[in-house]
Amino acid sequence: MPRLVHGFLQRSAEAHPDKTAVMDGSRSATFPELDSLAGRLAGVLKDQGLKRGDRVLMSMENSIESVAAYYGVLKAGGVCVEVPDRSTPSEVSYYLENSGARLCILSDASARRLGPVDAECVIGPGVPAGREGARRVSWEDVLRAPDYAPREGLSEDDLAAIVYTSGSTGRPKGVMLSHRNLCANTQAIVSYLGLTPSDRVMAVLPFHYVYGKTLLNTHVMAGGSVVINNRFAFPNTVVSDMIAREVTGFAGVPSTFAILLNRSVFPKTPVPSLRYVTQAGGAMAPALTKRLIGCLGNAKLFIMYGATEASARLTYLPPHRQDKLGSIGIPIPGVEASIRDDDGFELPPLQVGNICARGENIMQGYWGDAAETARAIRPWGLVTGDLGHRDEEGFIWLTGRIKDMLKVGGERVSPREIEDAIIESGLVHETAVIGRPDEYLSEVPEAFVVPLNHETFSLDDLKVFIDGRLAPHKHPRRWTVVKALPKKPSGKIDKEALKT
Amino acid sequence: MPEFRKAVERFIRDNFVMGRSNVALDPDVSLIESGIMDSTGVLELVEFLESNFTIRIDDEELVPENLETISNIVRFLRSKGIA
Repeated sequence: MPRLVHGFLQRSAEAHPDKTAVMDGSRSATFPELDSLAGRLAGVLKDQGLKRGDRVLMSMENSIESVAAYYGVLKAGGVCVEVPDRSTPSEVSYYLENSGARLCILSDASARRLGPVDAECVIGPGVPAGREGARRVSWEDVLRAPDYAPREGLSEDDLAAIVYTSGSTGRPKGVMLSHRNLCANTQAIVSYLGLTPSDRVMAVLPFHYVYGKTLLNTHVMAGGSVVINNRFAFPNTVVSDMIAREVTGFAGVPSTFAILLNRSVFPKTPVPSLRYVTQAGGAMAPALTKRLIGCLGNAKLFIMYGATEASARLTYLPPHRQDKLGSIGIPIPGVEASIRDDDGFELPPLQVGNICARGENIMQGYWGDAAETARAIRPWGLVTGDLGHRDEEGFIWLTGRIKDMLKVGGERVSPREIEDAIIESGLVHETAVIGRPDEYLSEVPEAFVVPLNHETFSLDDLKVFIDGRLAPHKHPRRWTVVKALPKKPSGKIDKEALKT
Repeated sequence: MPEFRKAVERFIRDNFVMGRSNVALDPDVSLIESGIMDSTGVLELVEFLESNFTIRIDDEELVPENLETISNIVRFLRSKGIA
């Protein structure tokens, strides 16, 4: 039997027929209900002419329907092209054109925001959507459709998803992930997190983002439950929901935890059911990580590292190795990570080089972009674009992204090191350091800071603190105090937006 | 319309609605669900309310009942003695 992503849902529907798979506000769906809804959608897609390998664009906020749509597309033998639900019409036009998707599944909110998208058929919204002449299928129609069996003959090498990822240059690239890629990564995460049917994760991260998607797939595979909460704008409601729903797991990116720790009741509100917390999506300042651990009680913190090109996950820091805090840990099961020079030669411990990885989770390449694929996937594995070193025990330490590293007067400077020091001051909620061209030094660091308390914040105090922490060439030459930092839909800080 | 309400609407328009002419500011529509503000936007709004009206907003007060819609914000400011 080939490992197929929608097989997770089918197996859990058989093994846990009465179990709630997804909670979405006041609504919920059991595994069989979700599997049946996905089956009906698969039938609609087949009726609308979907062939094996056809791409389907999806723009939906997290919901029972978005989950059913994901597994439904896969059951029909299609490829999910999930894009942020806040995408603009021109971004969606690019995704449609680039992926060649002719079918779309939209939420009402996305349909309203996007207006008439250029697809042959639009499924989902109860409001007008799609260009003139486009076929429209509502969720009511989907509910009335027969529950089809999954398409036969699919193999592990069939594509399951194209995930668009922004680089520092050019348009977003479509990362091609096969069923094998996603199944291997999901299985590895379930094993190191020790997920069981009694686990219940709070999902505030969007499912179109690979980290968000791992929450869904791992819990569906393990027979656990996923609690959807799209209201992180009010973090206190998420904390109350975590308590009320007795969640055992929570996942966030650094800005999620910065908000929870700095502007919510989380630090003084224990969540007794919490068993584990994961953090990925970029390095979090060690000072913030220590504060987070201090708030978690008995819950374990898993710091993780990965890339869209790796289906999501590459390494994790086992919670009992807090002595290695600041490291991205060790490879997850099934992944082989190495530090190499530009020619692919493996470097000895403590030498900084390219972080590379091999494993069943590594992408098939970039959609329609052989040149970029050849740059990213070398004979020695995926070149992540991150720099780092291994210590004597095999733990990997991240130095920064190749393209983010600054060259200040000939010396390499890591923006992350400066950011960590700024956060350590305890004066700042969030920060981002970028490079600015400089006539004499070629590049100098510029820091954007969001004060913890705008009333009492003193930039001079922060400068004094940095003076005692970093060598002069690492001192930001320009400081900009801002109310907030621009964010990508995943919640990560958008440094490109700061450079413009 | 009271001046403080105008100031709130102006802040939201200037900071979150820029260039999106199709977004109407209905006082009873969720600023989050309508896509006007996200989690960072709420924090920006809180910072604006604190500095502009010289009030202190506790973490416990960052709830939808106080900040989700323009009507809620107006009610919340009144409860803080702003008129």
